Amino acid sequence: MPINTDIEAVDDIFQEGKVVDGFTLGKEVHRGGMASLFSATKDGIEVPILLKIPRVGRDQPVESLIGFETELTILRSLKSPYVPKFLGAGNMATHPYIAMERVEGRPLEDLIKEGKVFTIDEVVQIGADLAQAVQSLHSQDAIHLDIKPENILIDDKGKLTLIDFGLSHHARYPDLLAEEMRKGIGSAPYISPEQVAGVRSDSRSDIYSIGVIMYELLTGELPFGNPQTMSGLRKRMWAEPFPPRAIRREIPRWLQEVVLRCLEPRAADRYQSATQLRQVLRDPEGVRITERGERVEPPSFWENLKGMFKAAGYEPSPSPRPSMGNYDAPLMIAAIDTRQSDEELRERMQSTAKNLLQAYPESRLICLSTIASTPTYEGNHESETASGIVRGHLVQLMDWAKPLKLPPERISYHVLEAMDPAARIVEFAKDNDASLILIGASHKLPNKVTPWRTSMTKIVEEAPCSVHIVRT
Amino acid sequence: MSRAEELGVTRMAFLGDIVGYNADPAGVIERIADLVAAKKAVALLGNHDEAIFKDCSKQMNPNANAAIEWTKTQLNNSHIEFLKNLPLLINEENICFVHASAHNPADWNYVTDSMSAWHCAQSSGKSYTFVGHAHEQALFYQSAVGKLIRFAPHPGDEIPVLPHRQWVGVVGSLGQPRDGNPEACFAIFEPESEVLTFHRTPYDHFSAADKVRRAGLPEELANRLITGK
Repeated sequence: MPINTDIEAVDDIFQEGKVVDGFTLGKEVHRGGMASLFSATKDGIEVPILLKIPRVGRDQPVESLIGFETELTILRSLKSPYVPKFLGAGNMATHPYIAMERVEGRPLEDLIKEGKVFTIDEVVQIGADLAQAVQSLHSQDAIHLDIKPENILIDDKGKLTLIDFGLSHHARYPDLLAEEMRKGIGSAPYISPEQVAGVRSDSRSDIYSIGVIMYELLTGELPFGNPQTMSGLRKRMWAEPFPPRAIRREIPRWLQEVVLRCLEPRAADRYQSATQLRQVLRDPEGVRITERGERVEPPSFWENLKGMFKAAGYEPSPSPRPSMGNYDAPLMIAAIDTRQSDEELRERMQSTAKNLLQAYPESRLICLSTIASTPTYEGNHESETASGIVRGHLVQLMDWAKPLKLPPERISYHVLEAMDPAARIVEFAKDNDASLILIGASHKLPNKVTPWRTSMTKIVEEAPCSVHIVRT
Repeated sequence: MSRAEELGVTRMAFLGDIVGYNADPAGVIERIADLVAAKKAVALLGNHDEAIFKDCSKQMNPNANAAIEWTKTQLNNSHIEFLKNLPLLINEENICFVHASAHNPADWNYVTDSMSAWHCAQSSGKSYTFVGHAHEQALFYQSAVGKLIRFAPHPGDEIPVLPHRQWVGVVGSLGQPRDGNPEACFAIFEPESEVLTFHRTPYDHFSAADKVRRAGLPEELANRLITGK
């Protein structure tokens, strides 16, 4: 890969006392395998500054550069009280650096190394704060993917800051580490089973890591050790960790329940959002204690064997978008009969839809129409082909919705092919978790029972949600 | 264009298919020709532009052919001359502009997947290659193993695109997006800060579709503008 590794002068550029892009370099405060850190000052910037300079050059691993690029992309986009503020960056080819706020605090890692014994309350507090910090990333479509004690700073007042986004993922930026040959990049004790399998887009991976950290702070041990081999890393896909209460008896059952649930091999079995995790840590009363919380014996040989067989077919759960969770965004369906020509009803349906949409600013509307079936042969004219017919109906739906003047993200259009329109509409509403179906009932229809009328009664009877009937 | 100017764009690249679907081909050509003459823009040849002066009817669907035949009736010799003189590919310092793909540009290959993007990037040899042709916005980027990976950009997000890796930006179409969203597609590249931002901007696609209909172009083409499909 044509990365320019010919930047030997970096060590000359970044030295105490030198000025780079207006940043006056202070002392080198840390030198790691991937990067050096310098304190710095700049006119107009009040907060203490840290410059992070990647270790580049001929003898340096390419990863340090990709990690640097990833961190630059993600840190620049994040706005969070739990993340250092981004203050600038240097040209990657000539003098690469990231300038960020120098945050007060010591790495949690130092406290662990000093042998500090954390009280139950302290661990619960750290877990809840971590969940909150992680949630602020997830709500911005970012996933940290390298949550470990080294990357968590805690200041005197106990405030947390997450650092090092070199392995992070952001749903709205290209993932430079995607399809990396090496699976399971990250810190062996803390990465989730799906990360071991190479998945980088699941926000619940961070919840797993919080579980590992809470386990470690409570018991002084790592749930799956610090494996150095792939098979060692894979153990977390099947093994049950030693129950924390078997190590430290004073741990309440509810807390063991919470920690072990975070450590579930399948992401779908864990807490589904960091907010949910924070909630249970702050309100233990609400925790339903299952067998997880009761465990005191280490898992038996047979249980482990069962788990091993299960893990042979380990499939990571599908990952929802990090910011998913639009509970207060109801979805409404307007079932529009494109065949009927009652102008008055049309207008009334439009105004009803408009009013409902105004009442719920986060709501979305789907305009639906059904067609009996599309021809299986492809005609000579596009208007005779299946896609042509569907498109023709779409145009009518869009025309219907035009007066609502909704931005595209709040409206979509579907033409459903169905022999039984009512059943199909009901099914569609179920599949999409709709909150409301809007249908029109015209008095101008002839008295005989028309298909649309029977459809309407069927929708009313079978819909999984409310049905709003608009009459003229 | 006015949206792009609002955003501070100083130079534009029209990545081909200047004519072929729209209801005012002469007007579009004149406007672009003026910008090119004033060195405010570059313009490239697309397959629909080529069809105006070359028989390509076998490669196109009946609607596109009907539109080409109609477009021909709307253009004078100087318009056609302008199209004939459009380059297939423009290379700049570390940027390549091309309508379809830098890999055999005259074959109008689509850049839609990893492999086609790789061919394109290999042939251009530049850090940045910008293409049109395919109607959906995408950014292909070179991964650690050299492979090009597809990324679906989110409109309005500034994506850092550092020049030490290769990028192929499929900017999408101004006039006929096909991802179900009728808003016009374009992208802005800022060489100094090395960021690329994909954009979608609403325009009066209902009246554009109306013009298409009134011009007597196939109804389907108007419907495509409205539905974005």
